[in-house]
Amino acid sequence: MTDASILRIEGLEAKVADEDLSILKGLTLDIGKGEIHAIMGPNGSGKSTLAKVLAGHPGYEATMGSVEFRGADLLDLEADERSQAGVFLAFQYPVEIPGVSIANFLRTAVQAHLPEDEELDVFDFTDILMERMEMLEMDVAFAERHVNDGFSGGEKKRNEILQMAMLKPKLAVMDETDSGLDIDALKIVASGVNKLSEEDPEMSVLLITHYQRLLDYIKPDFVHVMVDGRIVKSGGPEVALELEAGGYSEFETASAS
Amino acid sequence: MVDMVITESQATQGVTEAFNAASVELLTKGEPAWLREGREQAWSVYEQTPMPNTRLEEWRYTDLTRLLQLASLRLPEVEVGPGSASTWPDRLRETTEQNREAAGHIVLIDGHVVHADIDPVLAEQGVILDSLHDALTLHPELVKEHLGSAVSADDGKLEALNMAMWADGIFVYVPSAVRLDLPIRVTRWISQAGAAYFSRVLIVAEAQSQVSYVDEVVSDDFDTQTLKSSAVELVAGAGAVLQYVTVQRAGSGVFVHSAQRTLAERDARIDTLNVGLGGSVHRVDLNAKLLGPGANSEMLGLYFGDGNQHFDFNTSQDHTEPNTGSDLLYKGALDGASRAVFRGIIRVLPGAQRTDAYQTNRNLLLSSGARADSLPNLEIEADDVKCSHGATVGELDTEAKFYLMSRGLDKVQAERLVVLGFLGEVLSRLPLGGVIEKVTGAIEEKLSQHG
Repeated sequence: MTDASILRIEGLEAKVADEDLSILKGLTLDIGKGEIHAIMGPNGSGKSTLAKVLAGHPGYEATMGSVEFRGADLLDLEADERSQAGVFLAFQYPVEIPGVSIANFLRTAVQAHLPEDEELDVFDFTDILMERMEMLEMDVAFAERHVNDGFSGGEKKRNEILQMAMLKPKLAVMDETDSGLDIDALKIVASGVNKLSEEDPEMSVLLITHYQRLLDYIKPDFVHVMVDGRIVKSGGPEVALELEAGGYSEFETASAS
Repeated sequence: MVDMVITESQATQGVTEAFNAASVELLTKGEPAWLREGREQAWSVYEQTPMPNTRLEEWRYTDLTRLLQLASLRLPEVEVGPGSASTWPDRLRETTEQNREAAGHIVLIDGHVVHADIDPVLAEQGVILDSLHDALTLHPELVKEHLGSAVSADDGKLEALNMAMWADGIFVYVPSAVRLDLPIRVTRWISQAGAAYFSRVLIVAEAQSQVSYVDEVVSDDFDTQTLKSSAVELVAGAGAVLQYVTVQRAGSGVFVHSAQRTLAERDARIDTLNVGLGGSVHRVDLNAKLLGPGANSEMLGLYFGDGNQHFDFNTSQDHTEPNTGSDLLYKGALDGASRAVFRGIIRVLPGAQRTDAYQTNRNLLLSSGARADSLPNLEIEADDVKCSHGATVGELDTEAKFYLMSRGLDKVQAERLVVLGFLGEVLSRLPLGGVIEKVTGAIEEKLSQHG
């Protein structure tokens, strides 16, 4: 699997930039090309911190360890460079950008992913956007709405998937994508991820979730349990089922002792 | 030049080598008696009115004694500028080309009309677009009836000075029920460093008529202070619709003062948009009067400051009749060590029941050296009204910036998008042809200099 590795995290420690306390405490994780991994863990285990550290959030600081993405040092890159390199973070709480239409935002983002001397053709862009929206069963009028401004929880998450579909990442980190969604919205979002995954079998996915139910719709190859800033157990899909039956208490006790 | 000795007490009242009774007298040559009397009376108000200081609430944050160098200003030299567009300064020519689509144009260089045209169909219907000077001769009764009716010498020291000293102006008249589809566009170029330009705009829209008007000033940068003072009078008869937009893109060194009053009769609508981008100091005194039942005003403002720019918007919404509405939205972004002041008041008189009046000022600080002060206020004497006011001063949201950067936009692109989105709300409320593109372009130009 080493040759096909896309993301390799080793002994990663990280904290909130202005604070001393570590949240990630030596996390190690290896994701191969085209694999779907799920990280499950209780609240406060550091799952979302991991997502933000991977995407380059300026409020977090990696203090130890390394993150290698497609052979390059990911921690060395700014957030925009990570995106251009192929990392995509689907936000748990997508941010509202009033006054900026989705179409305008995506045009700027897609342009930013092109080589510097390449100018995005506006008509090509519109065609692709329409096609992607159709694939995700979205109304074309959606593109004229302002980014996440006044969106329902479901609309915000679908907007994340649309961005992912437009930017075609190598690694998609999905931070609590299921939070705040009813079952219908969850199915739509999951089906979008599955379609993108079928379209590009080399795309790797890291699902971060508290609950098992997302994994009913997006089937992981590997499941990891994260407690107190570390991976404490890894295995196949069966790990998620065990968690559903037994909860996190077994691990939390182990970690506290 | 008039030789004169200015006493110390005169000097403290703002009497200078350029501004004095003799220079007012010179301006009145050939003018009708009523106007001469108006100027003389305005001059005496000016002389008797103390210079506003920061102890006055309305001037608390704009210290005229420090910011306005009255004594070093002079009146512009009378040069009739080049009439042919090919000889205009590049920036003026570019601007007028952008402003091509219009019902009529006036181009002024240093206060002199160098170009004027109007759609002949509209002219036939009685629409007037003239310099105020020409209108004095061509339409004396109309001008006499309205000039000074909205902005009078009694409104304040600077208003009195403008009334006494105005040298150029624009007169627009739209007869009853005539509706203009395209805006009238006025483009001004000022070129004389150290000069004081006094100008007036008078727009009269008769009952059921419709007109929009865009006034833009551009200039190079000046190393000595240059004054652009304007008095804007907007009068809308019953059911008329009047839209007034001013885009200030003057160079640095320019002190801009604009006194604006809107008079909206029954069911009339007067919308205003003040865009402040250039200049060193930009002060607007805007008073909207809702004089007839059903009258409405949308009052919009947009500003982008950088360097040491200083903006001060002083607004009032006066509701005197029932069922009137006013909705104010001023938004600005401030970079560098720039500063903005917003002071607004909604006044609802006892008879103005069922008034809807709103007032919002939002500021976005792009640097730690920028500052915004916002003072919204209400004075309500009627009980059946809907009124609200709100003000915010915020910084560029780091979460929003991270969100955009996580999609591949670099820091500058991310900020540009957030700022344009923030300010775009104002422009989208008054979508006049070409204005959005022009203002967006000018903001982008300023943003590209953002460190």
